[in-house]
Amino acid sequence: MDRFWGTFSRWLIVPVALLVLAIALYFLMRLFRLRKDQATGIALISPWLFGFLGFTAFPIFYSLYLSFTDYSLFGKENWVGLSNFIKLFTKDIEFWPSVRITLLYAILTLPIGVFGSLLVALLINREIKGIKIFRTIFYLTAILPDSAVAIIWRQLFNGESGLINFFLSLFGVNKIDWFGNPQFVLPAFVIISVWGIFGTNTIIFLAALKDVPRNLYEAAEIDGATTFNKFRHITIPQISSVILVQVVMSLIGSLQMFTVAQFLRPTTQAGIFMNQLVYTRGFTQLHMGEASAIAWILFVIILVLTLAVFKSSPAWVHYETEVKNAR
Amino acid sequence: MKKHFNLVLVLVLAVSLLFSACGKQNGSDVAGTDTNTSSPAPQNDNKPKEKVEIKLSTWAGSEEAAELQAILDKLNAASDTYIIVQDSNPADYDTRLTTQLSGNAGPDLFWVSAARGAQFAARGVMMDITDRMKSSNKPAANLDDYYEASFDPFKKDGKIYAIPWIMQPVVLYVNQDALDKAGVTIDDNWNWDAFMDAAKKLTLDKNGKHLGESGFDANNVVQWGFTLNGWPPVQMFIWQAGGEVIAPDFSSSPIDTPEAMKGFKFYRELLDSGVVPSQQTIRDRGFDQMFRDGQVAMFMGGAADSLDTRVDSFKCVVREVPAGPTGIKATFVDLLGMGINAKTKNPDAAFEALVDLSEEIHKWKVMPPRKSIGSLDNMVTLHPERKDAFAAIVNSLEYAKPYRFYQDYPDWDTIFWNQLMDPIVNNNGKPEELVPNIKPLLDEALK
Repeated sequence: MDRFWGTFSRWLIVPVALLVLAIALYFLMRLFRLRKDQATGIALISPWLFGFLGFTAFPIFYSLYLSFTDYSLFGKENWVGLSNFIKLFTKDIEFWPSVRITLLYAILTLPIGVFGSLLVALLINREIKGIKIFRTIFYLTAILPDSAVAIIWRQLFNGESGLINFFLSLFGVNKIDWFGNPQFVLPAFVIISVWGIFGTNTIIFLAALKDVPRNLYEAAEIDGATTFNKFRHITIPQISSVILVQVVMSLIGSLQMFTVAQFLRPTTQAGIFMNQLVYTRGFTQLHMGEASAIAWILFVIILVLTLAVFKSSPAWVHYETEVKNAR
Repeated sequence: MKKHFNLVLVLVLAVSLLFSACGKQNGSDVAGTDTNTSSPAPQNDNKPKEKVEIKLSTWAGSEEAAELQAILDKLNAASDTYIIVQDSNPADYDTRLTTQLSGNAGPDLFWVSAARGAQFAARGVMMDITDRMKSSNKPAANLDDYYEASFDPFKKDGKIYAIPWIMQPVVLYVNQDALDKAGVTIDDNWNWDAFMDAAKKLTLDKNGKHLGESGFDANNVVQWGFTLNGWPPVQMFIWQAGGEVIAPDFSSSPIDTPEAMKGFKFYRELLDSGVVPSQQTIRDRGFDQMFRDGQVAMFMGGAADSLDTRVDSFKCVVREVPAGPTGIKATFVDLLGMGINAKTKNPDAAFEALVDLSEEIHKWKVMPPRKSIGSLDNMVTLHPERKDAFAAIVNSLEYAKPYRFYQDYPDWDTIFWNQLMDPIVNNNGKPEELVPNIKPLLDEALK
């Protein structure tokens, strides 16, 4: 009973303290002559703000500091400068294979993820009988946890009773050891990524497609445009900003591959994904400094690729409000 | 001004309240001492003793946790010092425990694997119990009663950091029905040659012909003689050949010695000879499942796997693993231990609970790391359902040894398995080609 009240009181104290803090913050803001609505806004988001600062911002920057130390989760960390990064770049036998498989996976799955979900969205955008049921079925894939997805795919890739090898055998292809042969590990993960084209990505594309003004299609039809031309010259430009978001989100998501790979545990000769390497270094080998360094390298890779996508976006993203050749 | 002061005061109080609520729970250590030394703290006998709550973390699943709870109930009722509260959760146990301990919020007592034990011992995560063990007169604290190897992973610089509670050697589970049918007998002193010969005779095609027999159809095997997929560990075979993978002084990895190479080559031979299913077949059908289903006739597993009592479809017996070519007997032994959080607020009660609980677990699990409890007669009395298995298990303990764990063993192990054994097992890697390239990496990891 004591444990119950102890826990209960802690659960009660936190919201009460946050409430008091928010109220106090409101008055503090007012003292600094902020407008009433501004002070109210800041006070209302303050619980989230404190949570973000304490549980997200601080750990992020702390991990940057740790990447320059030999922190092992226990004891005091020592500053080692760039040693972790130098070791990773020059001596670590697992690092470059890990970067390779992570980047290849991202590059190969990006078009599948984006265009696959666009294709599915186009299919379920059609107004046919029972389409709502189809939309629901397609979205169901999104609510399954990754661990369950991994188990399903393990069965599908089973050499003897799996559907994939059975399908390939119809074309005379011998049984493939998807997770034992290092040559097939990456293709297996790329195939698994097809799962990701359904669900949330498709729904976002569907919403974008619904948002394209009908009158544009009608005008094009009057001019005799074909279905492909309408898609090419109306649909794509109209949803290009959503495509940009999807490209960025898919890129980030694929570079952070972890759960499915961790569950499937294929041969390590193909390399392990960078997030897996972070986990292994941090929690198995207790080299949290190195793990932090790998995490920050992954962050830089994601940042550079995301910036490259944004940099290229003016060439292919159409914004309604933009003025071409504006000076 | 007064308004400002009040406001700041409210802010400070609110923040303090928040931090105190989010901070570490002191727990229920109402009567515990607040020291963190390895020497026993003096007791004040004039005050009435209040029971201290000792939190125990384990990876036990629901069935095992229920059995453990029955033991804890008995101990808690008998003790006037502690109440052990079980927190068992097998999901991501290691990561969770490591994070808790790192965040100063760990349990008082916890189960720990040998590899983790070596890491924790070297990093001061577990309490040094050397002096307490020496001064305690409880049976589970009697170091002379333990098998010598059982404390190896839990020791650092001669200090003891955990008590082992299970020591399960790798033994051979055999489908006796298949053996009888094939006319194969197992001698207690059998070696690699005899083992390979038996495995071949037990590898049968759909027509009942065995491997090596004229007309044997290798494409339609219905029963394999043996199975391996990285397990059992190659170290066992290297030890049986008289080799080592880590030098006793941790200075190098002598995996290129003729003895070690013999072990690697025998492993390769087992994989290539046809007595072992392909790795894909093992992955598809399940490693131990193939043995349970009668598709594999001999299986090396831990003594606690208890396949001899868990398989119903055929008579499963336990035998010792074969000796090496020169008669050297060796098998791998998995060790699990229980340690005390170095930051426990109740070191005395935690130690008492540790010793009492270890005693009970030693009577519960197969095999206990203690000679007195682990004697053949006693084990048959404690676990009559496995009476036929204990001769092989108890004998195996005489020559069983764990890996040579050290504080950064996972660094060495990652290279050993990922760069050497994974290619051998999954990609037809040749030991003679791989070993010269991997040895320097392993040596480097030991530095």
